[in-house]
Amino acid sequence: MNDTFRRVLAAAVFSAGSLTAGAVLAQSITIAIGSEPSTLDPQLRDDGGERQVNDNIYETLLARTPTGELVPSLAAEMPKQIDDLTWEFTLREGVTFHNGEPFNADAVVYSVKRVVAPENASEQMAYLGTIAGAEKVDDYKVRITTSGPDPILPSRMYWMKIVPPKHAEEADLAAQPVGTGPYKFVSWNRGSDITLEANADHRDGAPDVEQVTYRFVTEPGTRLSGLMAGEFDVIVNLPPEFTATVPKFAAVRGIETSTIILSTDNEATRDPRVRQALNIAIDRKAIADNLFLGYAEVAKGQLIHPNAFGFNKSIEAYPYDPDRARQLLAEAGAEGSTIELLGESGRWLKDREVIEAVAGYWTEIGLKVDVQIEEFSRYLDRLFDMKVRPDAYFVLNSNELFDADREMSFAYEAGAGGASNSEKELAETIRAARTETDLEERSTLYDKLTAKLHEEAFDVPLFNHQDIYGMSARMEWQPRVDGKLIVKEMSVAE
Amino acid sequence: MGSFILRRLWQGLLVVLGVTLTVFVVTRVFGDPVSLMLPLTATAEQRAAFAHEIGLDRPLLVQFLGFMRDLVALDFGNSLWQRRPAIEVVFERLPNTLLLIVAGLGFAILASIPLGIIAALRPGGIVDRLTVSLGLIGLSMPQFWVGLLFIVIFAVQLKLLPTSGMGTPAHLILPALTLGLTPLARLTLLVRSSMIDELNQQYIKAARAKGLGLSRILGVHALRNVLISFLTLTGWELISILAGYTVVVETVFAWPGLGLTAMQAIQRGDLFLMQAIVFSIAFLIVLINIALDIAFKMIDPRINLN
Amino acid sequence: MSSASTSSLPLALSGGTRLAGGFLRELWHDKPAAIGLLVILLIIAMAIFAPLIAPYDPAAQSLIARLKPPAWLAGGSWAHPLGTDHLGRDVLSRVIWGSRATLLIGFSVVLLAGTFGVIVGLWAGYAGGRVDSLVMRLVDIQVSFPGILLILLIVSVIGPSITTMIVVLAVTNWMVYARQVRGIVMSVRQTAYVEAAEVIGCRPGRVIFRHILPNLFSPILTVAILEFTNIVLAEAAISFLGLGVQPPATSWGLDVAAARDYIFIAWWLITFPGLSIVATVLSVNLFANWVRITADPQEREKRFARAQAAKRRRARGDQATVPAE
Repeated sequence: MNDTFRRVLAAAVFSAGSLTAGAVLAQSITIAIGSEPSTLDPQLRDDGGERQVNDNIYETLLARTPTGELVPSLAAEMPKQIDDLTWEFTLREGVTFHNGEPFNADAVVYSVKRVVAPENASEQMAYLGTIAGAEKVDDYKVRITTSGPDPILPSRMYWMKIVPPKHAEEADLAAQPVGTGPYKFVSWNRGSDITLEANADHRDGAPDVEQVTYRFVTEPGTRLSGLMAGEFDVIVNLPPEFTATVPKFAAVRGIETSTIILSTDNEATRDPRVRQALNIAIDRKAIADNLFLGYAEVAKGQLIHPNAFGFNKSIEAYPYDPDRARQLLAEAGAEGSTIELLGESGRWLKDREVIEAVAGYWTEIGLKVDVQIEEFSRYLDRLFDMKVRPDAYFVLNSNELFDADREMSFAYEAGAGGASNSEKELAETIRAARTETDLEERSTLYDKLTAKLHEEAFDVPLFNHQDIYGMSARMEWQPRVDGKLIVKEMSVAE
Repeated sequence: MGSFILRRLWQGLLVVLGVTLTVFVVTRVFGDPVSLMLPLTATAEQRAAFAHEIGLDRPLLVQFLGFMRDLVALDFGNSLWQRRPAIEVVFERLPNTLLLIVAGLGFAILASIPLGIIAALRPGGIVDRLTVSLGLIGLSMPQFWVGLLFIVIFAVQLKLLPTSGMGTPAHLILPALTLGLTPLARLTLLVRSSMIDELNQQYIKAARAKGLGLSRILGVHALRNVLISFLTLTGWELISILAGYTVVVETVFAWPGLGLTAMQAIQRGDLFLMQAIVFSIAFLIVLINIALDIAFKMIDPRINLN
Repeated sequence: MSSASTSSLPLALSGGTRLAGGFLRELWHDKPAAIGLLVILLIIAMAIFAPLIAPYDPAAQSLIARLKPPAWLAGGSWAHPLGTDHLGRDVLSRVIWGSRATLLIGFSVVLLAGTFGVIVGLWAGYAGGRVDSLVMRLVDIQVSFPGILLILLIVSVIGPSITTMIVVLAVTNWMVYARQVRGIVMSVRQTAYVEAAEVIGCRPGRVIFRHILPNLFSPILTVAILEFTNIVLAEAAISFLGLGVQPPATSWGLDVAAARDYIFIAWWLITFPGLSIVATVLSVNLFANWVRITADPQEREKRFARAQAAKRRRARGDQATVPAE
């Protein structure tokens, strides 16, 4: 398009000054997120939009480095375990909330009690699980108690944001967030955007980006349009096809792993040889390259996420060997049998495509595949129905706590979550590992579990997925493995 | 006039009652609000408690009366998604939708009159043919498609206007144009055809023969006679925009109005918010209808409105 | 349309086949309308013979042939004349199959709503009195319902499907027919010959069939054709919003929605389904315009007069504004 023409047209359409957003303040950026926060109260909802904003306003006792390592944040050091049910945290001194309230043991005790209080029915208890209460030892020492032995309590504390007690009692935390973090709340235009500004008094110094605006844009296509038009600096969930189109992008191994859980009880999938055949029939590399354009890694023969505690380093990815798969089927006498494959569509990146591709590979080794794509809530009903298990179902697991217990309790513990087996001994080992506080012993338990699951092919682990972010040309940012948008880690190139 | 307005209000009340009944039957009889609104992981006790809270354990008639009573008090319950009164969300988003409609329909009204008149001056001429053809094409294009084309052309290729959201006046241009396109086409075609009819009337011919200026003839005589049908169609366009086409345009442009909120409420199973939106819109439509009738009566007292 | 017909007026005199022939000849003079009808027939044929015409199964995916451009662009091939979508499905086949959903829903709704509306209108108009005022009050009330919004609410509660969509659209669109029919019945009943028929004791059924129905045919046809375009646009909009036709079934509106994420790298994905909607609605509109004028004696006269005026102007040499034909 001719430049002069563009200018004339611009003048004709709208004559008052600059039209498109951005480039007003050099150090101000706009991030397009997928959904508007339902509230800005950091303790009540399990809401991705709320987290994306509040992760910058509030802080937690422990944090993670961009690569996933757990480090002290509001705590001065890593916690000490006093006994099976008690952990002691020493707090950082000299920290204040944005409104001037001091950060101390009272704030921590208040925050813990607020989030676990039954009347608050916090959805975050899904992450905070075993936490029972907190008591103050002195102004900068707090003991946190759990309802049972919990080796991953430190990971849980990375999910609990600390709120200022006085403000929380007197003001509306849902609309007026006040934390200790590197950004302060400025405004919330409901339905449109939220603006934060840098907290110059933060202990790490003022962050690079002075002002950040979050825009709520549900449609991926609209987010992309905004990025291409220069309105946004960072957009989430960029489809892999666009990495070549956008000004800049960054990809990082996220916390999601896809798999297909096989039923060990159903007629069609009872024989371990059949289950192994199902595994080696799939050319995972081809799917990762063609469908995800390389932005997914072939899973290492297990559902456990590589960054999680309990990941078994000695297990290799299943090879692609359709001939051997046919042979295994023949040995099991299962040629031509029918396997139902349950799935959903639209919830996860390219879910339908993966399911169809897998079904294609299974058909190639001589099976009949009955693909059943259900609407999401109906899919969940069937996934959690313990009486009738599908032969196989596709699922994407995300591991926010970086611990193998997440996968174990969801996918393999008989009678719980979405497990498709009835092995009591397996379930008992999973429960033992969950409460084992000796880390070495715990690690050994998980290695045993993952080896058995791999050997007998309880599932068809597929991919470790990557998160892809689209960025404007001026952005400098390396995304984190935990998928959080931490603005203080971003900067703008001039 | 007074009794007339009273009768219109009564009829409006019936409309609201009809909408209430429809929504009630659909949500309570055909649908199951509990499974729609609670997460799948909700326990049996949580389900029972919620059912009790919204009165599902009472007889249907009692439920309906309670439902009506709450409506009179504008109490639609709390939005499950935003955890605050649903009506509060409606009042917050409604002005955005109205702004969009005023801009879009206003543009259509202002542009359609000159376009229609110019076309009517020489029926069969090139301007007329062009207007009619473009008008028909305008009527045939789905708004979501036009909106997407606008975004690609004006926002991404030319970088003239923002792609989505609201804020500056520039944000308003593309959604308003998209929303106004269909009414513009329909109104222009109407002005054109009524003007052709009017200009063929004897009195106009007489006035022209007497040497009255064309602009005076158009402005004073012809236009006034076109006004009633123009107003009727404008009202109808306004209602059909309110009744749904804003949803499409707001979704395409991420415009934070009532329509986009309705889609978000549906996606989140937020039935209470959806009900509040449907009622508010029904109520607005009733008001608009009454206002239109009064306007007609004022323009032409001979009109029989019964 | 303005390229007016100069064919003879005394059409009413001609009988059966000559009538049809006359109509066709008249239609031929109105080129846009003739093209409109042709396109409509093509689309209908496309829908009926979709399995024979479409080169591929519209749901067949191919991971290695994703996002291929149309044949005439670099990288395209005649294996997929209109390219492929984000799942490697053939766009041409999807456009062809998509016509089925559009036409099925359009025709079903018009038929259902039309039948119901006409019956109600006849009943109200013929019975008059209390029945009439009750029915018309109902019509008034329902006309003021927030149409699409209410449909979205209903569909989200009951669950989206083609059947739901047809039923809901029919239930919310019958009023136009009822109103129109009732108005005509009222006026026809006051004409001398119907009054006479009633006075001599003709049964109501006979009066309705012999005297009233024939008067209804052309206005109802016009309304039905115009309603059809509204339904097509409504279906596309609802499918676009994700509450209409559900995958793996296809619909033009649904395909535009699925393609919006890819508008920057694959413009053809929104273009062809979108153009199909435009072509369908535009053709129907062009044809409807002609039907309306042809069915209305007053309009026919106007058209005739206009054509004469244009001729006179041309004869005067007023060439500047009238392009040569």
